[in-house]
Amino acid sequence: MRPKAFEYHAPVSVGEALQLLSASEDAKILAGGQSLMTLMKLRLVAPSSLIDINRISQLNYIREEPDRISIGALTRHDQVSSSPLVNARCRLLAEAASVVADQQVRNRGSIGGSLAHADPSADMPVACTALNAELKLTSKEGSRTVAAREFFLGFFTTVLRRDEIIEEIRIPLPGSRSGGAYEKLTKGHNDFALVAVAAQCSLNSEHVCDGINVVLGGVEQKPTHATMTESNLLHKRMDGHVIHEAAMEADAGLTLTIDPRASEDVKRSLIRTLTGRALRVAFGRALEAT
Amino acid sequence: MNGQPFKRRVQPRMLLVDFLRDELGLTGTHIGCDTGHCGACTVMLDGLTVKSCLLLAAQARGLEVQTIEGLNRGGKLHPLQKAFLDHQGLQCGYCTPGMILSSLFLLNHNPNPTDNEIKRAIDGNLCRCTGYLGIVRAVREAASVMRENLRPSTN
Repeated sequence: MRPKAFEYHAPVSVGEALQLLSASEDAKILAGGQSLMTLMKLRLVAPSSLIDINRISQLNYIREEPDRISIGALTRHDQVSSSPLVNARCRLLAEAASVVADQQVRNRGSIGGSLAHADPSADMPVACTALNAELKLTSKEGSRTVAAREFFLGFFTTVLRRDEIIEEIRIPLPGSRSGGAYEKLTKGHNDFALVAVAAQCSLNSEHVCDGINVVLGGVEQKPTHATMTESNLLHKRMDGHVIHEAAMEADAGLTLTIDPRASEDVKRSLIRTLTGRALRVAFGRALEAT
Repeated sequence: MNGQPFKRRVQPRMLLVDFLRDELGLTGTHIGCDTGHCGACTVMLDGLTVKSCLLLAAQARGLEVQTIEGLNRGGKLHPLQKAFLDHQGLQCGYCTPGMILSSLFLLNHNPNPTDNEIKRAIDGNLCRCTGYLGIVRAVREAASVMRENLRPSTN
């Protein structure tokens, strides 16, 4: 299978890439290419112009700033999962990045590419939403910041405009008494998730939950908050019973998209079970951190 | 390319795997699924394993590519190749080049992996003969040989 012919550009700066992007009607950005290349080979996507950003080294970094971790959009999953900074300050993201597909994909696939692609079963959109990440979107006209929870619109659809690229992912640094965890179940080891759950929580000095995000992947058309679970945990003193009861509500009110791999009953059961696991680990880590 | 410089003009849409096989005649890199699932086309790009069916040849410009042909130096099998042979790490052999490169990537980063780490390292490589047990044994054995080779000589 071969892609339809296209013009190939390999800019070395963001400015140059944005110039090329604005000059074409249907250009696509090629980041890691772990989804786009397959789509192009299947000819589901056939851009007339391909802008390969892999030579823009200024898009590849992980930096600690006073209140956040900033990650360049082209940073590879393997770099995210092996970063000491991400592991120390933002375990949920490191764990999610470590279970993306397989080693070859993690060596090449990028965090920004995964977010822009917006596969409803992918790991990065779920993890970044649970972490209250903000995305810096840049066009020739300038930059804007969009919260991850506002970024995804539906199946493979985001608010990213045709003339914009994702330049940076900003993860607010979790506070001292916080913890996160990522759980997913796949049919094969390197398959997309049947269900993925990202949980990020914080506790006050009385072990009362004062912040909680539980975000599900592979369930609806975009990352979905388990709102019943979240509201059942917030302002409660944490114990195993409270967590179990809250996890049992994880699928409440959700309209699941049809999944040929598993029935709705199985998926609802998975949502509850994986939410319970993720919450126990996340709250356990928050307790350890106190 | 395996230590040798190559210069070719390519069509933008030429895939790296086709460049290797059709332009350079390096047919050790295989095409299995052609959709990025099977790992038969795995090569190293600047020391990182990638699926060459998901890369354009043009993306390798200026980078170091290593294929299975680059492992056998001076007519001597690489310890991984030898171990795959000795431990029946291959049956039909179709997945083997990719398996070996994924295993090499693992051992470059983790010289003494557990069986679970080995299994995880090759989870992007499918063996349709389902010879995984022999492959895991082969990687374990190669790891031990490679660690031994790295030990400074005592005399």
